[in-house]
Amino acid sequence: MSQSTTDRSPSGERHAPGRGGPLAHVLLNIALAALFTALFVRAQALPSSMWEPLGSGSFPRLVLAALVALNLAIAFKEARAFLRQSPGERGQVGAWIWRHRLAFAVLALFAVYIIALPWLGFSLASLAFLLAGQWLLGARSLKALAIAVVVALVFSLGVDTLFRDVFVISLPRGLFG
Amino acid sequence: MMDALLSGMDQLFTLSTMIAMLLGVIAGVIASAIPGFTITMAIVLTLPLTFTMDPLQGVATMLAVYVGGYTGGLISAALLGIPGTPSSVATTFDAFPMARKGEPGRALALGIWASFFGALVSVVVLIIAAPPLALIAVKLGAWEYFSLIIFAMTVVASLVGKSMLKGLMTGLLGLFIATVGSDPMMGVARFTFDSDLLANGFPFLVVLIGIFAVSQLLSEVEDAEGVKHGKALMPDDVNFNPMAALKETLSYPVNLVRSSLVGVFIGAVPGAGGSIANLLAYDQAKRASKTPEAFGTGTPEGVIASESGNSATSGGGLIPMIALGIPGSAVDAVLMASLMVHGIGVGPRLIMDHGDLVYGMFMAMLVAALMVLVVCLFSMRWFLRVTEVPKSIIVPVVLVCCVIGAFALNNRVTDVYLLLGVGVFGYVLSKLDYPLAPLVLGVILGPIAETNLRRALMSDENWMLFFTRPISLGLLLLAALSIVLAVRHHRRAKRLQAA
Repeated sequence: MSQSTTDRSPSGERHAPGRGGPLAHVLLNIALAALFTALFVRAQALPSSMWEPLGSGSFPRLVLAALVALNLAIAFKEARAFLRQSPGERGQVGAWIWRHRLAFAVLALFAVYIIALPWLGFSLASLAFLLAGQWLLGARSLKALAIAVVVALVFSLGVDTLFRDVFVISLPRGLFG
Repeated sequence: MMDALLSGMDQLFTLSTMIAMLLGVIAGVIASAIPGFTITMAIVLTLPLTFTMDPLQGVATMLAVYVGGYTGGLISAALLGIPGTPSSVATTFDAFPMARKGEPGRALALGIWASFFGALVSVVVLIIAAPPLALIAVKLGAWEYFSLIIFAMTVVASLVGKSMLKGLMTGLLGLFIATVGSDPMMGVARFTFDSDLLANGFPFLVVLIGIFAVSQLLSEVEDAEGVKHGKALMPDDVNFNPMAALKETLSYPVNLVRSSLVGVFIGAVPGAGGSIANLLAYDQAKRASKTPEAFGTGTPEGVIASESGNSATSGGGLIPMIALGIPGSAVDAVLMASLMVHGIGVGPRLIMDHGDLVYGMFMAMLVAALMVLVVCLFSMRWFLRVTEVPKSIIVPVVLVCCVIGAFALNNRVTDVYLLLGVGVFGYVLSKLDYPLAPLVLGVILGPIAETNLRRALMSDENWMLFFTRPISLGLLLLAALSIVLAVRHHRRAKRLQAA
């Protein structure tokens, strides 16, 4: 159920273990512990109530305190793993980023799509995203591009019409809508 | 009773009602198969269409969408690894690995049969035990609710994967995420930083789509060369053998009945519902299994437990509504609204004043379960063709569906921004081997736990009431037992791994 992909490629082959994994954990968990500590302090300012013993801050404080403790415990455990392991081969981080280049590109495109959504409106933004996304993921031949155009039209203009006229739900119209 | 049953059947078995139900089933299956679209959305969209129908026909159509929806969530859970609805989160644990191992047809067929039997068990329980079960369900006070949630939280132990610390961390993170936004009791803004983005908190559906869908879809495109050469989601040799799956499903009778009963009971508890039932049923099946280590790798037991558990909540949810007029979930509230539109008051007298309607609804559940079975068995070969679609098409299309689902929930663009943020965070967590299911469970259970804890202490500040009220004590003992067994199992698994 957890997706164990830290040191595996999508095809499943295991890469040489290095310090990258433990280091990433240490950095993430220390950052999270610091964030939750700050939120814990902030939660103390939440008002109490004369009608109930707990108030609005007690439950979040309880959860945040446990989160700080757990993140520090994970960071400590991973720091020990970091010290135990020998440094990996040079350029592993670069190779990892290169291996995930398509995922990062899709993520960047998705972020641009979402940011552009209120301005361009659902139809236009989705049309552009679907065309660019399919092209990015390999639709380069004439046949694949023709299919990409049909798919993009159906899932942008088609879906927008369906929602507006059948379900009476208005998706974002944008500046041109 | 017999007169009411016959009268209900007479009203139900008309050509127009059967056609309306069939369309409802198809709509429910398709809507729930799309990531980001929930059963509640489908049923809300169906409501205006039933205004012109007679009461039983209208409710039967909505029940058809309801029952179809519980099965439809299986499709994207098994084929994409993305729960189509919150009630199919646990289905992703085994149906998706099974599909990835080249058996998507088996995963779907097992899920369809398990859903059918789950719905069947729930209808039988509904007919026999609706009034007494409803009375038990509404006797649960804030203390019992809180203890029930503590028991449900112990499910996290089954979902932690390899590291207990990481599982607990994501579970608690889910609890924290649920506290962002308005305080459920006082309405005070918490952790919103005066920002419009966080003012309404993190809607559960947005977290679910972001955590599962966005991170799963990004994982799908990591194999750059494969994707660019038109790689599909699954191997192209897809075998769909419903009869073999029926035999296999029936070879786990205890799992099937236990999971269905868990679903019925959780469905009958107002506010709990299918999103918890599938996880609890999965957890119980794993604990009772002779091969718990196989869970999460594509075992049929996991698929059967989750799907029978979530489908059984459809009948369970009707129990408090029919017996007491209390809607157990948002979907039940919409069903109640559809009856009220036709001038039928829903309450304890419903079964006495409109016995034919109530028995007609029971029969409609049964007919809907049968229709779902037939529709799914005949259409599943078409759905399986999704696995042949290249990733270059499926990934952008599903991402657009996720955006629609997140936006249509509350008509807020800020929810779409949250979807992006949660998706990126979920992807980072999955890359670092954190289990994501406990996070979703935390987001579901957090508000219920906090509200009931505070409500209990508001009624009486005595903490000992959690231990002196019999049902609450029973649930807490079950929770303690559950933790002890989980720790023992975790240690044994580690010893075996080391040996």
